[in-house]
Formats: sequence, structure tokens, C-alpha cells
Amino acid sequence: MRRVLLTGNAAAAWGARLARVDYVPAFPITPQTEIIEALARWIDAGEMAARLVTLESEHSMITAAGAAAATGVRVFSATSSQGLLYGMEMLYTVAGWRVPWVLVNVSRGLSAPITLEPDHNDVLAARDSGFLQIHCAGCQEVLDSVLLAYRLAEDARVRLPVIVNLDGFYLSFTREPVSIPEPAEVDALLPPFDPQGLAFRAGAPLSQAVAVLGGGPYSYFRYQVQLAAQNALAVYDEIAADFAERFGRSHPAVEAYQCDDAEVVLVMMGSFATKARAAVDRLRDAGRPVGLLRPRLLRPFPAAACRRHLLGKRALAVIDQNLSPGQGGVLATELAAALYGRPGAPLLASFIGGLGGRDIPPEELFEIARVTEAAAERGETPPPRLLYTEAELRELRKLQTIAAVERDRRGPAP
Amino acid sequence: MYRIRFHGRGGQGMKTASRILGSALFSTGFEVQDAPRYGAERRGAPIFAYVRASRAPIDERGVIQRPDLVLVADDSLIPVPAAGVLAGIDAHGLLLIRSAEPAERWRERLNAAARVIVLPITEPLLDRAALPQVGATCAGAAARLLGVVPAEALAAGIEAELGGLGARVVERNLAEAMAAYQAMAPLAGAVSEDGEIAATDYHPPDWVDLPFETARVSAPAIHAALTSELVDTGLWRSLRPEIDYDLCKGCWWVCSSLCPDGAIHVENGRPVIDYDHCKGCLVCLAVCPPHAISAHTEAVTPCAESS
Amino acid sequence: MSEQETRYRSTRDLPSLHLLGTGTPMCAGCGGLEALHQIYDQLGERSLILNAAGCMTLLAVYPYTPFRGSWLYTAMASAPAGAQGARDALDILVAQGRLPPEEDLRVVVLTGDGSAYGMGLSATSGAIERGLDFLYIVYDNEGYANTGQQYSGATPHAALTATSRLGAGFPGEKKDLFAIWVAHRPAYAATVIGAEPLDLARKVEQALAIRGPKLLLALAPCPTGWDFDPQRTVEIGRLAVQTGVWPLKEYRDGQVVHTKVPRERKPVEDYLRTQGRFRHLFEPERQDALIAAWKARVGTYWASVET
Repeated sequence: MRRVLLTGNAAAAWGARLARVDYVPAFPITPQTEIIEALARWIDAGEMAARLVTLESEHSMITAAGAAAATGVRVFSATSSQGLLYGMEMLYTVAGWRVPWVLVNVSRGLSAPITLEPDHNDVLAARDSGFLQIHCAGCQEVLDSVLLAYRLAEDARVRLPVIVNLDGFYLSFTREPVSIPEPAEVDALLPPFDPQGLAFRAGAPLSQAVAVLGGGPYSYFRYQVQLAAQNALAVYDEIAADFAERFGRSHPAVEAYQCDDAEVVLVMMGSFATKARAAVDRLRDAGRPVGLLRPRLLRPFPAAACRRHLLGKRALAVIDQNLSPGQGGVLATELAAALYGRPGAPLLASFIGGLGGRDIPPEELFEIARVTEAAAERGETPPPRLLYTEAELRELRKLQTIAAVERDRRGPAP
Repeated sequence: MYRIRFHGRGGQGMKTASRILGSALFSTGFEVQDAPRYGAERRGAPIFAYVRASRAPIDERGVIQRPDLVLVADDSLIPVPAAGVLAGIDAHGLLLIRSAEPAERWRERLNAAARVIVLPITEPLLDRAALPQVGATCAGAAARLLGVVPAEALAAGIEAELGGLGARVVERNLAEAMAAYQAMAPLAGAVSEDGEIAATDYHPPDWVDLPFETARVSAPAIHAALTSELVDTGLWRSLRPEIDYDLCKGCWWVCSSLCPDGAIHVENGRPVIDYDHCKGCLVCLAVCPPHAISAHTEAVTPCAESS
Repeated sequence: MSEQETRYRSTRDLPSLHLLGTGTPMCAGCGGLEALHQIYDQLGERSLILNAAGCMTLLAVYPYTPFRGSWLYTAMASAPAGAQGARDALDILVAQGRLPPEEDLRVVVLTGDGSAYGMGLSATSGAIERGLDFLYIVYDNEGYANTGQQYSGATPHAALTATSRLGAGFPGEKKDLFAIWVAHRPAYAATVIGAEPLDLARKVEQALAIRGPKLLLALAPCPTGWDFDPQRTVEIGRLAVQTGVWPLKEYRDGQVVHTKVPRERKPVEDYLRTQGRFRHLFEPERQDALIAAWKARVGTYWASVET
């Protein structure tokens, strides 16, 4: 084992290398591109025995990935944002094929307006595809999660593709200390891919992904995906325990930090959650009983684990780095569904922040805690809050002046 | 936790500086986080990179708001608001400027709360078009100012980041880094770690409730032409082309047509360079038939005449 | 291919044992199925068909499949990318010794014109440029037939479709997919039709002997979409060839060769009159301009071939 400084992108590439993937269909998109560049370099240099092919789109890339996995090789790919959405049809399709492979998504906000910086709307658009989702908060987690993802995807009780998500910029281009496991250690964790009789071979005719007539068969096949995804909760716990034993690093389905005696719990996903961890430390310094809950799995959603940590708390502050227009934060909705009707369900305050890479400084996390504590005191759920300041609006107004929208600011002319 | 920001121009090696320092601190036993700040920036445009280092795992992320140390590789960036060189630097902070001018001049000029020191540029650069690679120099200076990075760790950092480029590159960068490391010896340890903002004493954010606005206002649409001319891309320029009108033959269709940015217009049959937008690529110099265009090192404030 | 090189010297040499299963839900009289089953006679069980969305998606409806070999339904836009993934995976498995060469499969794309002429062009172009070893079969029924014959990029001029129902019919021109393939310099490309089984068999034989990207573009008379009695599928197919509307040709070694040049072309009207989609050219009154345009188009094509 070596401990070195790696970017999130390099950590993802190391995960694929250590998983001994056979095949990498690729397509460039910022901020993911460094992952496939690293793999291409290793393959060209003979350091990695895999084949990398650049397709002409992410739609084709995901098709090729699924078809290769369906033929019985271990497949890795990576994308971001617009690319993930361009391939969206195939996410559902290949999940329905029940082929296990791992797709790294480097989160980046979606157009329009177009941006390079991160939020989670891209990966959440894939929420209902049948892909499982692991969300990472640090570069070590990225490497480890790629390995965990192959074990999870290929388990006979699951056999579904997995997305490993990391935030653009905040992880993709940021170096942190990462332990790179020895190949032999990884081989012991992750045996070679066994297609379990579902692969194309001459002499073994197989018609895969065929049409069905009627809702009965359709419901059966789709609900089998649901059952497999639900199995993945217990399977994940088992794999994560095995991983922790081998490598001494714990990656639970839900990370709970200072939750046991907390009265107010911040809930976040992804790399911004480490900022919340730091804020919890400061709040604890000030004697405030605040904790942090970070779901690492979004699909399957670890509802029971969330309930175990959250029932009986006074209030939650759910900070969503995404936006479902007309509803609000996706994680808030997921948690509300997990807690609904349960005795001891806490008050839930919803915050939207970090859209398009917008930073969330510690002061805002302190204020979120304060607002949520006050709401719990009053017993009144506050309205959803966008983290957006007067200063930001003033800056935007300057831009709007240049864009010549000023005269209509107050709405349509009478 | 140490928080360090490197400011320079695209192409000057600020990412390299952050990585050398990051690797050096990591090999010294620190937990480290380093990152460049990419955007739509291009060569010559203001860019920055940052390093965090702590003895405990680092949970803080993103752009450094309150730096302990800011290094400025190119002093012409200081007056450029978009570069954000001085952002968040307070009395606790240290500002190191690579400059041919003495520190006193900068202290007077900036009137900043932070301590200001200078890493002198001793030899005048003959050709600034090459945008000197000063990543190793900046990393070397920063390492000594922190006072916690031994010279061997700095050397290891340079080997780790530049080893792939060959022994000569490593040797040259090592020499430059060590020179800066020595130059900063009197100020070794001048940078101190700042603490964390306390949850009991902070400026609460002035959150605003966004009002609804009609789509004409709230769609990302620009209802005007040519607004890009408000962007002073002249700030990217380190070398300034100047036309010697005694030599100029007035064949404006050469330089004016071939200027990639369309930054040479024609007045009374003569080409005139728009320095607010000239990026200093020097295509005009290369194509001018009578060699009437020459290149000159930019002054400290390249766009002073535009303001 | 000379007569000596082929197994198919006369129609008596055509396979008597047909390998594609019956019982599929294709329309009675389907010209596409007619071509496919003839092609499949030479493909057999050592094939993996990647299907693009279209009429033939319904060849395999759970739990019924007509294939002896394998099949994977992908999507409308990306069947060639599926072929890429499958071919690469098979090559990897064989190279690693995980798949005995005798268990290897031939990779085949099966697509209608809707995908081949439109949505799937990008993926097809990419697969050809990467030199993928695959056979690409198009059943061209000249419209989005599976959804009720709306016009597609393959619809011929003046045809009535569900989205060009009135007036002079489809105003556009049929795209030349064969030429688009040839522009990519593939290993092989040919037009075929189920009504000419000997010509088709020789071309399949030829294609299967060559590595690389290979096109078999089959005109697929469609009783449902073109509006004719199913029993006339072969007659209409032969007329398409005899009138010169559907030239039978192949491309290999950088040359296009016509494999069946009608000695004396029948009048184009003979072809047009057989189909309801062209009835408005003749009833209630004759549309001389549209018919003349059809004749001119076919005449110009053959004039260019014969010179």
C-alpha cells in the first residue's frame, strides 16, 4: 500500500486499474476527461491490460459498455453532466439488461445556462434508471467506492450497474492523500468477473433484452430490478464490512457523524458534506448538539439506516445540492418519505445550496444550524431556503445591466 | 491549518507551484489538499491555485477565503480586480510579490493590512513572451516562509511533480526553487496557521429571498450586442506590440485582417491597436511586411491607459 | 465476384434449409423479413444480432425468439455502438483465452431505415471509421413503418405517408445511404432485395468473407406502409430492379460495380402504379410533372452508370 496525493479523477482511474477492468468505452467531457486520459496512458504504456475505445457519444459509449458487459467482460466508463443525460436512454436500457459494470460520474451542473462547476442534478436525473448510486465525499472514497461498486454490481443477489459519483472541481481536480492498495489485496476482495451464465457464446443461444407484450411481464422484469436493488442494501453492508476488515477503511451506506446525542442533524451528500463535518466540530466546540448524516448510497436508499439515526431528533437541516423545480430538494423529499408517519420523526428544514459549484462557507452552515434549532424551538417548519446572499444578487444585477434586462426588471409593462 | 494561494497567469505554472508545495508538505507529514482553479481562462489570463495543509485530516474544501499566505507570481496582476489577488487577506496574512520593485513601494501602493514582502526579480527578462515558468520558484519561497518544510522535502516535491519531464527540467527547477528558498531564509516561519471561524462569533449570511422575475429578465439571455467588448482581455498581455508609424507602410489589410482578435482597427488609413483587447499574441509583429511592429514588456499596470 | 468463386452459381444452389425461425409477428408479405431470412441462412447460430428500434424489434417477443444464435436489442440510435462493445468484448475474451475461438460470434447490426438514415447515422459513421468488423443489415421500407409509415430520410419523392398524406406527397428526396457508406471507404457495401435471392446470396457470401465494416442495404417492399396486396411483394421488388428504381450494386476495393443491370429498363410507372402510396400520381388525374421527375431521376442515375 502506498499513500500518495491523488485527484479525485486519478483516484477513479486507479480504482478501474486495480479492478482489472477489461474494457473502457470512452467519450471526453469536462470535468471527467482526466480519468479516461489516465487510463489511456496506462494502457498505451502497457501498465494496464485493457482495451479503450472512444465512441462518438455518451449514448454510444453506454451502449457499448452494456453490450460488452453482456458479453462477459468487466467494463468501466466515466462521464459527466450533459454526457450522462445524453446517454440517459441507455442507462435505463442497460440496467434492464441486468449487466454489472461501473460508471463514474463527475458531477457538474446541467444546462441551461451551461456551467462546468458541480451540483447533483446530473446524477439525480439517473436516480430512477436502475443503476445503483454511491456518492463520494473524498478522493480516497472514490478509489475505494469503485472497488466496492464492482463487488456490489457483480454479486448474484444484485447484478445491476453502479454509478460512483464525485463532485467536479471540489474532488475531480483536487489532490488529497489517497492510499493505493496493493493489486493482490484488491484481487482478494474482487475475484474475476463471473457472468453467471448470462453472456453471448456460440452454441448457447441467448436473446437478450427482448420486447414484452403487456404489463404483466413488463412489471415482473422491472420489479425484479427493484428487488435486486433492495438486496443491494444488505449486500453492500456485507461488502463494506469485508472491505473495512481488509483495508481498515469504513465506508458505511450512511455516514453518521456526532449523531448519537445530536438534537439537530445536518443531512448532505457528496464532498460538501465534509464542510458540514467541520462545521459540526465548531458547533460542538460551542456546546451545540449538532450532528451530520451523509447517505453514501442514494440507490438503494438506506431508509432504515437513516431512520435509525434520525428518529427522535428534534430537527433536520437537509441541504440539497440539487433542485427539482416545482418541488425543491430531492434529498429532502427522499428523507421525508423515509420518515413519514414514524413516531419521533423530526422537523425537516430544507435548504438548497451549492448549485453550479456555488460555495457553502462555514458561516452559512452555522446559520443553517441556528435557523433549524430555532424552528425546532417554535415547532414550526421554516420555508425552504435558497442559500443566496444580498451580495450575490447585487453582483447578478450588475451582469443583468450589461445584458440589458434592466427595463423589465419589475415585470411586464402595464 | 495552513492556507496558501498562488496567483499568476495561465502558463506560468501556478498549478505546478501548488503541487510542488503540496507534495513537499505531504512528505513532511502534513495532510494536504491542493487544487488549481480552472475556468474558461487561457494562457496569459489570471489564474490561481491553492494548498491547504494540516496535521489533521482536512474537511474544509473549495477556494481559500482567508489565506495565511498569498504568492503573486506576476505583479502586473495586482491591480486587476478580476484576479482577486488580495481577496480575504487580512493583518494576519502575508503577501509575497515577485517584483522588480521594492516592498516599500508595494506597501505604499497597496495600503494593505497584510504584511507585504517582495521576492526580487534580479535579472530583467529579455523575452517575456515565453511567460516564465515560475512554479518552482513560488513553491520554494512558500516552503521557506511556512518554515515547516525542509529543503529535502522541497526537492522531493519537485522530483515528484516534474520527474516525468526529465533530469534537466528537474535540475533547473530545483536550482530556482532553492534560490527562492534561500532568499526567504530571513523570513523562515513568517507564516502562521490561522484557526477556524467559531460558531459563536461569525457574520451571518445576508440571505435574500429571490423575487420572481419574468422570463425576459430571468432567462440567461443577453438583449444587447457586442457586450464582450466590456471584457478587458488586454489584461492577458505580457508583451505589448507597438507600431512604429515611421516604418508603417499603411498596409493595414495585413495586420488588421490577420489579428485573431480583430483588435487592430484602421484610422485614416493606418492600423491602430486596441490595447484594451489585444492579448499580446504578436501575430501582427510576425506578419508586418516592413517590420514596423515591435514588442515591449508590459508595465506593472498593463491597462492603465484604459482606466 | 466471378462465377467460379461463389457457391451460388444458380438458384438451385440457394439454401434449402432455412435457419431463421418462423412464428414472428412481422406483417404478412414483409419484404424486410424476406431479405433477412435469406441473409440469416448464411449467418446461422454463430451470430450476435444487435438490433436498433424498428419493425424488427418485435422479432423476439418474450419468450419467443426466431434466432438460433444470439440477439441483443439496444435502442434506436446506437446499435452499431452495441456491436462495438460486443465485438471488443469477444476479442478480449478470445485473446485472454477465456473464450475458445470456436465459441466466437459474428457481430451483426439489424436496423430499419429510420435508424440507418437518421438517428443511427452518427453511431454508424463512428463504427465504420473505427474499422469495426461487423455486418450492417438495413431493411429499408422507406418510412417509419413500425409507427405507421411516417416519412423518414429514406422516403422517396412524392410518396404518401402518414405525415405526408395530402397533396403531392413527400416533398423531399430519398437519401443515398449507399453513397454515405461508400464515402467512409468501408470494407464492403451492397444493395440487395429479397426478390433477387441469388444476387443477395452472393453478396452475403462476399460480405462474410471480408473483415471490417460491411453494409447490406435491402429495399424492403412493405405491404402495410406502401399500400399493396402482400402477394405482390416479390413482383414489386423485381419491378424496383427492372425499372432501375433500385440499382443492385456493390462496393469493394474502392470500386462500385452494378451486379444486375437491366438490359432494357421497364417504365418507372410500372413500379409506381403498383403501390397505393403513389396512386395520387395517376388518380384522379395524372400528375405528369411528378412522374416526369421520377423518370428523370432514374434516367439520370443510369446515364451516369452507363457512361
